[in-house]
Amino acid sequence: MAIPLDGLLSLSGALFALGLFGVLTRRNFILILISVEVIANAAILNFIAFSFYPPSGAVSGISGQSIAVILIGLAATEVAVGLAIVLALNRLRGTLNVAEAIQLKL
Amino acid sequence: MSFVWLGLPDGTNFVMGTLVSPLGALMLIVVNVVGFLVVLYSNEYMAHEEGLPRYYAELMLFLAAMNGLVLADNYLEFILMWELVGLCSYLLIGFFWKKPSAASAAKKAFIVTRVGDVLFFLGVFILFSSLGHITSAAATTYPGTASTICSSTDPRWSCVGFAFTPPNANSAAPFLSAGSAIQSINFGGSSWLPTLAGLLILGGAAGKSAQFPLHTWLPDAMEGPTTVSALIHAATMVAAGIYLLAITSIFIGFTMTTAMVILAIGAFTSLFAGTMGLASPDIKRVIAYSTVSQLGYMAMAVGASSVLVDLPNSVYANQSGVAMFHLFTHAFFKALLFLSAGSVIHAIGGQQDIFKMGGLRRHLPITSTAMLVGALALSGIPPFAGFFSKDDLIGLTWTAASKAGDPLLYLFFALSVVGIFLTALYIFRLWFLVFSGGAPRDASLLSSSGHGEPSTMGSAAPHADPHAALVSAPSPASPAHGTGPHDPSWIMTAPLLVLSALAMVAGFLPLLPSIHALLPGLSWSVFGECFGSCSATAAGFDQLDAVLGGVSLALAGGGILVAWRVWGDGRVFRIPEGSVLAVPHRILFRKYYFDEVYDAFAVSVVLGVARAADWVDRYVIDGTVRGIEEIFSQVSRSGRRLQSGIVSSYAAWVVVGLLALLLFFVYVVPCLENACHSPFSLGF
Repeated sequence: MAIPLDGLLSLSGALFALGLFGVLTRRNFILILISVEVIANAAILNFIAFSFYPPSGAVSGISGQSIAVILIGLAATEVAVGLAIVLALNRLRGTLNVAEAIQLKL
Repeated sequence: MSFVWLGLPDGTNFVMGTLVSPLGALMLIVVNVVGFLVVLYSNEYMAHEEGLPRYYAELMLFLAAMNGLVLADNYLEFILMWELVGLCSYLLIGFFWKKPSAASAAKKAFIVTRVGDVLFFLGVFILFSSLGHITSAAATTYPGTASTICSSTDPRWSCVGFAFTPPNANSAAPFLSAGSAIQSINFGGSSWLPTLAGLLILGGAAGKSAQFPLHTWLPDAMEGPTTVSALIHAATMVAAGIYLLAITSIFIGFTMTTAMVILAIGAFTSLFAGTMGLASPDIKRVIAYSTVSQLGYMAMAVGASSVLVDLPNSVYANQSGVAMFHLFTHAFFKALLFLSAGSVIHAIGGQQDIFKMGGLRRHLPITSTAMLVGALALSGIPPFAGFFSKDDLIGLTWTAASKAGDPLLYLFFALSVVGIFLTALYIFRLWFLVFSGGAPRDASLLSSSGHGEPSTMGSAAPHADPHAALVSAPSPASPAHGTGPHDPSWIMTAPLLVLSALAMVAGFLPLLPSIHALLPGLSWSVFGECFGSCSATAAGFDQLDAVLGGVSLALAGGGILVAWRVWGDGRVFRIPEGSVLAVPHRILFRKYYFDEVYDAFAVSVVLGVARAADWVDRYVIDGTVRGIEEIFSQVSRSGRRLQSGIVSSYAAWVVVGLLALLLFFVYVVPCLENACHSPFSLGF
């Protein structure tokens, strides 16, 4: 039972919108980081969807899946860097509010 | 010897080079002999001043620039050096810069000569643009222009330059081709352009040589040290204007109109400045007016020579050497007069008012004798130098007037002859007031020896004992030891003696046979007796020469006699209040109100122009700049609010930008390619 492409794309769009909403409205650094992960996963879902329904003329669907795997790794790296910044910010400023960290120095 | 200083892509070359021309060689002698003597004299005269390194540095810069000016082989280089000597003049007039009068005199000298310099530039521009069209073949037709120089490089500047054939011992003079070179220059068919160019160059010469109406700066320039007056404002720099006229008359030539204007201005200035010298109470200013007057004579000679050359079917060669001869003799006797005056000022503690002096002959025997020699040379009493050179000038002007037959020229000739009488009158008024009589009218002068008078001499503080001054550092003057004023040491008297000797023998320069190849038209005869080369003499001149010599001698003698009757033996002539002489005296004393007129002119016109320029600068130029600045600062002020540092708002802007790009590529780009989507279709 295959999920149709429309459904996959709609889910991806919904995830992206949710993530964007979180990025724009949250002030907590960790919540923003989570929202960014949601956005990234929306994108990864797109790759998966189009590897399953390759557009006409595309050579093979396997490349979409491999990119998705790389992107998952990338997202993990990103989270690692982001959490390191979160820790540093918390230690130096005692806050996780991005509205208070408005200078390019700590 | 020359090299290309600046080559333009169109083939125009601006050349720098050195060239010892005959006139320049004469100037070199003058500049370096007088320069050496003045520097020697300065060693004692200036010993007590502050800022001596500055003084000597500026003096050396001046001498270097003056030598460069004399050696310049084209107008461009000439102008550079001309500006340099002007700068040195400014610096040295303002040497006592703490004195407001010296500072303003320096500015005045700089600005007034600048008026002339601008005219000179314009004249040279005209010459350059006109000469730019001539071919090198045409250039070789200039009298005295070396064809090798003209044809070897780009002809334009080399041929405008002063280069000409080195004097050949066999030829009588290298300038003997008749007619004016200016007629062979292509001025594009314009007849007024060469006249205009000549008049503009005359303007430059008038500024530098203090000719009417730009004469006002030279008397004020006496605020500088006396040594500077002797070197720069008597012997060398002010003569550069005459040198310019002389070389220009030889290599470019003047049209008839220009020549007559030069003659008129010179002759008028010679009389005009003499009258002002008659009323001045300042020992240095009298001599300064005399300088203006003598420079007028020289300009007159250049004008007369050019008039003769420009006559229809002229047989006359250029005779500017006559002016150079007077320049030569004048440099020596005028430097002598200034240095003598400096010696007087030095001895009596900085006083410059001749009405307070008197009877100084007994105290200053060497100085008074030297000054007498200078005064006799200036008045034109044989065998002193001034007689011979002035006799030449008068003879040349008479020839020009009679050959041209123009009543105006006769008038100006008469003015210059009256000037001879005035010359003797004012210089002997000076001499008698300073030296004759029993004792100084201001008795304090006798005891004030060794005390400087800062109000009149800057910070001059001549010592009572000049020998002590040489070995000891400047110290408070030793108490006046009752000897009163006396002659300075050999350091100052030696230049006086050398210059006295030169003032006596320089007039015999034409007796050197080789000099005639160098100086065109130089003295042919004295009292009808022909010395050296007389071939250029027009028929009928020799007989006149005896008459003219006698007349000028009689006038000079008469001037001395009148001066003796009025001021001799310690007499002081004071014009009674309300007499007929009071009004002219006041006019002369106020220098014909020229300063007042120029001040009024400056206040109304120059200040108006300055205000307009200030308004334009303030509101148009600055307004534009400030407007542009205002635009940017407004934009950046509004843009700055975007950069809040809050990451969320940055993200929001990213989204906005993304949406804008999306809309642009979906709706706008296809429309540009004539494939518009309907507003509701996303185009998938």
